[in-house]
Amino acid sequence: MPKKLQLRIDGEMVSALEGQTILQAARNSGKYIPTLCYLDGLTPVGGCRLCMVEVSGIDRLVPACTTPIQDGMSVSTTSAKLTRYRKIMLELLFIERNHICAVCVSNGHCELQAMASQMGITNVRFSYNYPKLSVDQSHSRYVLDHNRCILCTRCVRVCAELEGAHVWEVTSRGIHARVQSDLNQKWGESRGCTNCGKCVQACPTGALAEKGWAVEEMIKRNDNITVLAHRKGAGA
Amino acid sequence: MKRVKLATVWLDGCSGCHMSVLDMDAAIITLARKIDIVYGPLVDAQEFPDDVDVTLVEGAVSSQEDATKIQKVRQRTKTLIAMGDCAVTSNVPAMRNGVPVSQLLHTIYATSNGSKDVPGERLPQLLSHARPLHEFVKIDMHLPGCPPSSKLIVGVLSDLLDGKKPELAGKVKFG
Amino acid sequence: MMPRILDIGAFNAVREAGIAKLMPTVPRITVGMGTCGRGNGAEGVYHAFAELIERSGDDIVVAGVGCFGSCFQEPLVTVRLPGAPLVVLRRTQANDTGRILHDVRTGKITPDLIYCKIEEWDHITGVLKYGHGYPEIPLWNEVPFFKGQKKIVLRNCGLVDPDDIEEYIGVGGYQALYSVLIDGHPEKVIEQIKASKLRGRGGAGFPTGNKWEFLAKAKADAKYIICNADEGDPGAYMNRNEIESDPHSLLEGMIIGGYVTGATQGIVYVRAEYPLAVHRLSRAIDQAREYGILGENILGRGFSFNISVVEGAGAFVCGEETALIASLEGFAGRPRPRPPFPAQKGLWGKPTNINNVETWYNIAPIITKGPAWFTDTGSPKSAGTKVFSLVGKVRSTGLVEMPLGTPLKTFIYDIGEGSAGGSPIKAVQTGGPSGGCIPQEMFDTAVDYESLAQLGSIMGSGGMVVMDEDNCMVDVARYFIEFTHSESCGKCVPCRVGLNKSLRMLNAVTKGSGTMHQLDVLDELARYIRDCSLCGLGQTAPNPVLTTMRHFRNEFEDHILGRRCAAGVCEELAISPCENSCPLHMNIPRFLQLQREGRTEDAFLSVIMDNPLPASTGRVCQHPCDRRCRRQTTDEPVNMREVHRFIADSVLLSERFEEVTKQVCARKLEPSGRKVAIAGAGPSGLTAAFYLAMLGHDVTVYDGKSEAGGMLRFALPEYRLPKAVLAREIELIERLGVKFIFNTRVGFDIPLNDLDERFDAVFISIGTWKESWVYLPGTELKGVYPALLFLEAVANHEEVRLGRKVAVIGGGNAAIDSARTALRRGGDVTVIYRRERKDMPAIEEETTAAQAEGVKFAFLAAPHRIVGDSKGNVKAIEIVKTRLGEYDASGRRKPVPTDEIQRIECDSVILAVGETFDLDFARASGLGMKENGTIEVNRFTLESTRPRFFAGGDVITGASNVSNAMAYGKQAAQNIDLQLMETRRWEKLFAKIDCDESVPENPSESRRHHGHEIAVATRVRSEEEVVTGLTNAEAMDEACRCLRCDIKVEA
Repeated sequence: MPKKLQLRIDGEMVSALEGQTILQAARNSGKYIPTLCYLDGLTPVGGCRLCMVEVSGIDRLVPACTTPIQDGMSVSTTSAKLTRYRKIMLELLFIERNHICAVCVSNGHCELQAMASQMGITNVRFSYNYPKLSVDQSHSRYVLDHNRCILCTRCVRVCAELEGAHVWEVTSRGIHARVQSDLNQKWGESRGCTNCGKCVQACPTGALAEKGWAVEEMIKRNDNITVLAHRKGAGA
Repeated sequence: MKRVKLATVWLDGCSGCHMSVLDMDAAIITLARKIDIVYGPLVDAQEFPDDVDVTLVEGAVSSQEDATKIQKVRQRTKTLIAMGDCAVTSNVPAMRNGVPVSQLLHTIYATSNGSKDVPGERLPQLLSHARPLHEFVKIDMHLPGCPPSSKLIVGVLSDLLDGKKPELAGKVKFG
Repeated sequence: MMPRILDIGAFNAVREAGIAKLMPTVPRITVGMGTCGRGNGAEGVYHAFAELIERSGDDIVVAGVGCFGSCFQEPLVTVRLPGAPLVVLRRTQANDTGRILHDVRTGKITPDLIYCKIEEWDHITGVLKYGHGYPEIPLWNEVPFFKGQKKIVLRNCGLVDPDDIEEYIGVGGYQALYSVLIDGHPEKVIEQIKASKLRGRGGAGFPTGNKWEFLAKAKADAKYIICNADEGDPGAYMNRNEIESDPHSLLEGMIIGGYVTGATQGIVYVRAEYPLAVHRLSRAIDQAREYGILGENILGRGFSFNISVVEGAGAFVCGEETALIASLEGFAGRPRPRPPFPAQKGLWGKPTNINNVETWYNIAPIITKGPAWFTDTGSPKSAGTKVFSLVGKVRSTGLVEMPLGTPLKTFIYDIGEGSAGGSPIKAVQTGGPSGGCIPQEMFDTAVDYESLAQLGSIMGSGGMVVMDEDNCMVDVARYFIEFTHSESCGKCVPCRVGLNKSLRMLNAVTKGSGTMHQLDVLDELARYIRDCSLCGLGQTAPNPVLTTMRHFRNEFEDHILGRRCAAGVCEELAISPCENSCPLHMNIPRFLQLQREGRTEDAFLSVIMDNPLPASTGRVCQHPCDRRCRRQTTDEPVNMREVHRFIADSVLLSERFEEVTKQVCARKLEPSGRKVAIAGAGPSGLTAAFYLAMLGHDVTVYDGKSEAGGMLRFALPEYRLPKAVLAREIELIERLGVKFIFNTRVGFDIPLNDLDERFDAVFISIGTWKESWVYLPGTELKGVYPALLFLEAVANHEEVRLGRKVAVIGGGNAAIDSARTALRRGGDVTVIYRRERKDMPAIEEETTAAQAEGVKFAFLAAPHRIVGDSKGNVKAIEIVKTRLGEYDASGRRKPVPTDEIQRIECDSVILAVGETFDLDFARASGLGMKENGTIEVNRFTLESTRPRFFAGGDVITGASNVSNAMAYGKQAAQNIDLQLMETRRWEKLFAKIDCDESVPENPSESRRHHGHEIAVATRVRSEEEVVTGLTNAEAMDEACRCLRCDIKVEA
């Protein structure tokens, strides 16, 4: 049995188990820290940086999803600086690709949208990139729209860690990074894909979706993934 | 009491936001007592007047004409509001941004319409990208939504009439 | 096959063999065969030696070695005759080898190639005594580039053969390893490393001893140590050279590290782009195995350890330790969050320690000499030395190993020997793309981890890129962001999207389409990227942006508000390099083209609309346009000033004057009804008057003197600028309707408040007429004159009682003008200047002409006192000789007085030590002043703190030159008009003049044409103009030399 540790989150004393992350400790005690790339049940990667928090005694920000707790730690989950940075984070995700929510199957059920609304964002200060991106419709049941992808890599992880199929990977680097199936084969031609659809359910936006839904109709069930993961004892 | 001069402008958008303005039901009675609509698709004015108090702009900036117009509107308006997603993020008009303008026009006029060539001078010159208003002029308030609800528009106008700064956090959906 | 070394006897035998190779009883020649040497032809040199020796059968040994550090002198060759010092030859080519060998046979050293000598070399682990001799050759550490260097890391580089383990053992190599193994107390070694305060040389500066301790304490069935040789900074190549020149030092450090931390395997992760380093390292590993220094039972002490080499695919981010580990494991090189740290969970999930190449090189010396010896070098918090690759705009480039804590200026001015191109040094970029730019004012900063961090930069792995005035700091920031942006792995949002956005914003600034608001957004974005990125790449990538915005904000403002790139780098902000460097931004390519087309009147209109005093500036301008002319890449710059003078003269001084003046007047805009007053009828005021009149305003110019022209009229001697020429230009301005009121000083004879009431705007452009007075005993004597008063008196044909022997103090244009004027009045003139000739601010051609006319110069001499006779007349001047000391804020060496005093007999002294002004009236009238006594203005609008009052020229800059002053007049006119009319009308003044816009197929092949000078004998006795200008044919030919780099052809 791991040791019980005491820490403060936003001034409130909470206890958590050694080896848990700040994010887990916070969630278990009902504290909210925004996240996008994190999905309970999958290995955290610290990619979206939305969960950055302040820890007293450390002169830089740390990601809550990958930082293990320490006894006596004092964490602040909000501050003027964190709010400012989180807003920039979301703004950058909106300008990076073409999020035309009005025509998206996930409109209204999108985690990126929800996060933006929750942060009170009403516009983006940066100019949009408008990259030209492809849509892979080759799969019989699902579709991959790079325009809507935020590279959270939840699909990559759920496929590898829960399904064990390793269909998804990230190719290329920097602004050119893309998720790809089976060494850049069309998804529909992927031999590894089991058509399980976990990647679709894990995807926070409309980047991965089931075919046959109209605008606003695609509702994801990623809680199922968490349940499944905990049953298998996978992830953190 | 001096009535507030309100203008509405329709750039590259579907007019849905203007529909939302019209959809305000009984609230229009209260508002109408306090405002004059001095310009826009809802009234018959040819030239954008000087000294407008509030202007609601629908749509993205897509053409050179839009770009010129929004500059003029900005110069003559005290409070400029980007109304709806097209004005705020460029939304649907931005869907053409991945296609070069010449190819776009060719597809529309020549390929799908069977006409020989693109009607050059008669079209407003398209910009290479449709872009949101704030990339061209300073915007005082963004009102996202596709369209923003009538209630939201009424709320914002009422707040402005009462001299209050409208609080949007929690009331709007972004994206 | 060499038997494995199993005991000390065998070890010592190898050591003896190594020494015998290094100091043989026959002559030994080595060739520097690092990548830098090879790039300059070292291989050819080596083969030439080998071939010649084989053919002749001489008993001479030739060996290939690594690089000695001074890359700018490659290929380096060393020659040692038995018992004599090792002599380093520089820039040796294959065709030199014959005579070098000939000289070696006859016991001589080839004189013209000599760089330095080494009598004795401290390899730290051992000392080689080559011998004494050759007193005429400087010792290696007397050469500027090596002065102050302390070679600990580079102890063997360039001296031993990297491919021969025996030579390494010969200089004491593997001795430290042997002693550690014999001693058998790993924990003591860790204590030693901790006590030495050695810090990671990869840039982060984490204490190495502590890192080792983590690994030593970690319990696991396998543990790894890794050498990070994934050096990827642009402009940095320390690690490459270290491995290429001395691979065994790396191996020794790693084997010791492996032993004391209990590691089971060592890995060197090196860039695949370093083939020579990989090759030499692999060979070193093979040799070490063969000699029993790697593998099982090392040196017979029972310890087993192996090192393998892994070639990385060249991703910059793989220098980050977690990405490096991912790459070693066969994954894409993407970092992952820490904790867990590699010391807990590293390669294959096992405890791992990663150190930079250079860190490993310090291990053996620390063990041999002890930690106290190591901490003796460097600063308290940063012990030891660091190798830097000093590159960029310095004269001497190469690898420099200096004690930590050495000030930046030592690197740049002493070792680098200052600016390479003559353009002043502006900044240094340390730490590569993750570092920052440090401005020249801060070159006193000590180079250590903490001091650099304070300035927003880092030491990084040791890149040091020096930049001069020809580097645009916005472009520098853009360049580095472009690099990190393309090397970002894409895993986290700040680095992936944030850097991309930063790059787009910086691109906009370099194209002139940025806004000040965006600059603030960029600043916030950069901070966000720094604070939120996952790994070191993103966390440090914004440093170049943040530091340039902090230290060079004015350059960003210039790009955005002024649409100018002073360095001439951002091409979209300039017509051509000459236009960009012209203070008046004249469209030079256009007037050259019009001249070429024979359209003199159009050429004149082009010229006069850009520059209202074209004939005067055609004679006296400092012509900065020459400096960046692209033609000089083939021969010499186009003589734009002389062509410009030719065009101006052929209209202004001819019968065409009337006709063309009418054409200029016809371009005036409608009367605006606005009135503008100008204080000062000098170049700045005349320029403003010209443009304001053209813009339709009613212009009145006030001046305290009796005529217009300012310095041009009263300070410039007739022989440089005939008054008749200036008079024509002023006449043209008068024809535009400008009114002049003379003998009326603004602020004295007419208060500023009066002007405020009567005019819509006021432009203050008074010159620096007050001579700065130096404290010098004897200035009260009769026969001492301030230069400006002297020149003005001469210009007014007043009586000046000048003696026979005249001393002029100063090195500016006023000094040279005074000297040449005095000479023409029969004086025997000596100019006394405290620095060297190349430091003189005067125009080069003028100094040359003065020398030709017989003016004498005393350089490196400062006035000490003026000696008078009993009647109070000047009798002599005593000068104190100076020597050049430290570099000052201007990047020039400060003259320091010596004890040597000389006496020069003279009866007159002219002081030309700088000018200042009397601006009390301005202060009294509520104009904000700066600390240096100039009027405070907005840099872009030139408006002072008092509304509607503008100022420009000397009153805001201090004494400057004609073209700069005129530029302010032009800028002021533009802004005054904008303020008066509330709309931008400036462009309306400039009618389009069409000319051929194609790149000339056959530009003239002539050399640069110069203006003709009249014979010295004639001119020294007359006031006649010295330079008569070009002939028609010459002007045409000169115009045809232009390559038209203003024409931008779509690629």
